[in-house]
Parts: sequence; C-alpha cells; structure tokens
Amino acid sequence: MKATRAAGGLAAAIGLLAIAVVFGLLAGGVHLSPADLVAGVGPAGETARLVASLRAPRVALSALVGCCLAVAGAALQALLKNPLADPFLLGISGGAATGAAFAALAGLSPLVSPAAAFAGAVASSVAVAALARRGGRLDLQRLLLAGLIANAFFSAILLAVFSVASGQTARTMLFWMMGSLADATPGKALALAPYGAAGFTVLLAFAGRLNLFAVGEENAAALGVDVESSKRIIFLASSLLTGAAVAFAGIIGFVGLLVPHAARAVVGNDQRALLPVSAIAGAALLVAADAVSRSAFAPAELPVGAVTAAIGAPVFAWLLLRNP
Amino acid sequence: MSALLEARGLSAAYGATPALDGLDAAIGRGELVALLGENGSGKSTFLKVIARIVPVGGGELSLEGRPLAGFPRRATARRIAYLPQSTELVFPIRCLDLVLQGRAPHARGFSADSAEDRDRALAAMRACDVEALAERDASALSGGETRRIFLARALAQEAEIWLLDEPTSGLDPRHRLEFLEVIARAHAERETTVLLVTHEIDLAGEIADRVVLLRAGRALAEGSPGETLTPDRLREAFGVESRIVMDDRGRRRVVPYAPSR
Repeated sequence: MKATRAAGGLAAAIGLLAIAVVFGLLAGGVHLSPADLVAGVGPAGETARLVASLRAPRVALSALVGCCLAVAGAALQALLKNPLADPFLLGISGGAATGAAFAALAGLSPLVSPAAAFAGAVASSVAVAALARRGGRLDLQRLLLAGLIANAFFSAILLAVFSVASGQTARTMLFWMMGSLADATPGKALALAPYGAAGFTVLLAFAGRLNLFAVGEENAAALGVDVESSKRIIFLASSLLTGAAVAFAGIIGFVGLLVPHAARAVVGNDQRALLPVSAIAGAALLVAADAVSRSAFAPAELPVGAVTAAIGAPVFAWLLLRNP
Repeated sequence: MSALLEARGLSAAYGATPALDGLDAAIGRGELVALLGENGSGKSTFLKVIARIVPVGGGELSLEGRPLAGFPRRATARRIAYLPQSTELVFPIRCLDLVLQGRAPHARGFSADSAEDRDRALAAMRACDVEALAERDASALSGGETRRIFLARALAQEAEIWLLDEPTSGLDPRHRLEFLEVIARAHAERETTVLLVTHEIDLAGEIADRVVLLRAGRALAEGSPGETLTPDRLREAFGVESRIVMDDRGRRRVVPYAPSR
C-alpha cells in the first residue's frame, strides 16, 4: 500500500511537471497555442518553434533550480526534525547569493559563480553551525535562530551594496536578491545539472539515515548513525544544491519550504519516496511559477520569488489548517 | 564473572553542565538492574552514554571488557536498544515504519523493509498488543500508545541489552502491567540484560535483580533491593523519610512519607 502511494505520488508529480513544461513553453509575452507547436510548417509554426526554442532553456533551468531547492528543503526538514527548515530560512541561500554576488562584482567569469555560491553557502552553514554549537554538539533549536541571524546579515550586505551601487552593479545585486530565471541559456542549464545530480545522489543515499533523524537526532544516534559526520555530509550536499540553484537564479524562497510539505501530504515522510517526489514537484512548481511571472503582466515580468510566495502562502495556510 | 557493561569513573556533561561525575557500576549479562535517584542524578544520562547518544566525557565505559566507543556504532546499535523517556513526533510516520526503524541497524543504508523485517516488526507489535495500530499515524497516538510502539521497536531490534528510561510513566494500570510483562518475558526467555530507570521504588524492589542508587552523577549504593531500598539509603538518595511495610501478600513496600529536614 505504501509503495503504491509512493508510485502514485511520483506519477502525479511527473504529470504536473509535464503540464508545467507545456505551459512554460507556451506562456509569455508572445502567447502560443499548442497547435502552433505541433503545426511546425509555415510561418506560424516556424515562429512558434523559434519562440519555444528560446523558452526551452528557461524551462529547463527553472526545472533544475526548483528541483535543487525542493530536495535541499526536504533533506533539511528531516535532518533538523523541523518542518520550517528551508535553505532560505537557514541562511544558506543568503550566503550563496552573497558569495556569487561578490564573485560577479569582482568581475570573475560566470562559470565561477556556482563555486562562489557553494563557498558562500558552506561558509554560511559553518558560521550558522558554529553559532548553534553548544557543548560540542549542534543544537537544532539554536540552529534555526542562527539561520535567522545569518539571513538578516546577508540581506543587509546585499542591500547595502545595492544602495550604493549604480547601473549594471545594482541590476546584478537585484538579480541575486530577488531571484530571476530571465537570463537562462542552455549552457547554464547544462552547468547546473551535474551539481543537482551530485547533491541529489548523496542525499538519496542518506535517505535511510534521514528517516531516523526525522524522528530525532537521539533516535538516529541510538540506532547506530554516526550523527555528527552524517549531519556534515547532509549539510554539505544541501549547501551544494542551494549554492548551485542560487548561482544560476538568485534567491528564490518558498520552494524548499513548500514542496516537501505538499509531497509529504501525498506520499508520507519516507525520504526514499519524499526526495524524488519533491525533486519533480519542485521542478513543476518553479516552471509553472516562472511561466506565470512572465505572462501575468506581460510584457512586464514579475519576480519569480514573488510568484512562488503568492502561490506558496495560501497553499501553506491550507496545509496548516488541514493538519493542525 | 566479568561484567557485560562496566563504567569506571565515568563522567559525561552537557556542555559545561556535568551530568555524570565519576560513576562506577557493573552490569552482568542477563541482569535486570534498576537505576534510582532523584531528578538530575544522572540516571538518564547513563543510559544515553551507553546508547552512544551522549559521548563519554572521562573515565571508562566498556562492553565485554572493551571500550564501547571502539565498537562500530552500528554494531552496538544491533546489541543495545534504547527506549527514550518521551519522543515528540513532528512528522507523520506509520506505526509499522516506526517499529521497522528497530531493524535499521541490521539493514543496508539504515532502510529495513524486507519481508523478514516486516514479519519481525509485526510479531513484536503483536507481543506489545499494538498490532492493530500498524497502519496508523504514530504522531497522532496518545503518549501511552507511543510508548508501547517504542517497546515493540526495542523488541524488533533483537538487542541483548535494553535501556529503558522510565518505561512505565504515563501508562494506565493495565498497560503498565502488560508492559512489565513484556519486559519480564524478554528478560526471562531471551536473557535480555535490562537497565531500567524508574521513580517507582516498589517496582524496582519487585522486578530488579539489583539496584543502583545514583546521586549527583555517582553511584551512592548498589546491591540487592533489600540492601539498597532501606530508609537510610533512601534518605541519602532522595532526601525523604520513609518506612517499610508489608502488604497483605507479604511483599515489601516502601512508603516515603515526608521530606527529610
């Protein structure tokens, strides 16, 4: 019964992703119809294909970023036994954005940006963990508070640079702060994929341990898990996913918080099912959110983070009301 | 006889707060030992150090004469089951899955769900009278039901040593007695070594082979219930005045009646 539920959840997530991808290819400043895509021949079909080929990389990048953020969120929630854990709330996104932003300001190649973001994410994780350390052990309650502090700190840095900067620099800072998928290229999507795959593979290998952490850290220790080293690895893998996502799309909140909740409501909290379903559902959510961001007030674009929050908040409220 | 578990000058701390401060205790194979002491005397910490939740701060803790920390964690988890005082479940989890976690130290990647694991888990749930809850969400159960699920998990773990932290608190009389039956049966049939932390002095007197009285992170006294559960010892350990009475079936009962002045 449980396996059926997991398979059903996976199928539903794939269905949602397929719908989101079609929507993502058709929606935008120039609205296309499915028929335009299928027609192919003639000027209308040609144009449609041209537009879609411009949109395809953006859809692919959105999918990968959504995937990374949702998986990182799911893993952190289980690790910290806290449904409010999220790469953004723990300050990992902020550290990643600051790292990537400074690399960009220093004029380094965009290819360095994932490494800089990962470094920022790890630096933030280490600082947050050091703040949360009490008596040689990581105190999980303090961790969330420390994340809050780190988050405020990185926001302040980004905001300060934004305020005194002008022109291109200001736009760059705005990109990291608000998150955007507008600069997607096939190269960026290809560059993000291996980071996503690596982080996901590690976390999936730790799914059994994460299930024990989700009941409690003491629970995991008593059942034979090397708690400290496992925590480090899970944190590093989550930082890698977050850093890579932020490097290519800036800070986008709510995906890591919301998607695991929705997935959990469908497939339960077994991480072996939850991580893959979150990955696909996260991709679907961000592809759809990005499509809405560029079509709702076309030709103007909304920040995609505003869309994820606008979708996320009501769904989150509904989840809260449903599971008191 | 060499001890199965032995603590020598064992200390442990939570940050700067010491919890164990030079504890000496030896537990023989197949013994049922009750740990008694006032709140904060280090009973629970002793269990957590043996369960490898809290690291050894100083002194020695050995299993079969070898330092416990020298064993692979998974190997000791297969041999030592820990029943926490309370567990707050934040996420939903099916009761059967919670019991299956007892099989995690035996399984690859800590994910146990082979047919054999399921059979053992269900048998353990049957023994603890919680089989009917198998498909239910454990996070929605009462505290007493959750304890029984955790006892079933300890059973499914097939460990030779059980660490039970106040296992009977919060249970209604019938389930308390059933719970004790499961413990007594495991102790008698499987020769499970049991370390039991409890505030029920009479329970310790009734079922324990030996009692260790703790105070301020050290062993104050140890010996048979008759030797340790005396008014003098209890005054030292708990700061209470008590008298011993015999009930109508001739069982010794300790009645604390006033705090010592």
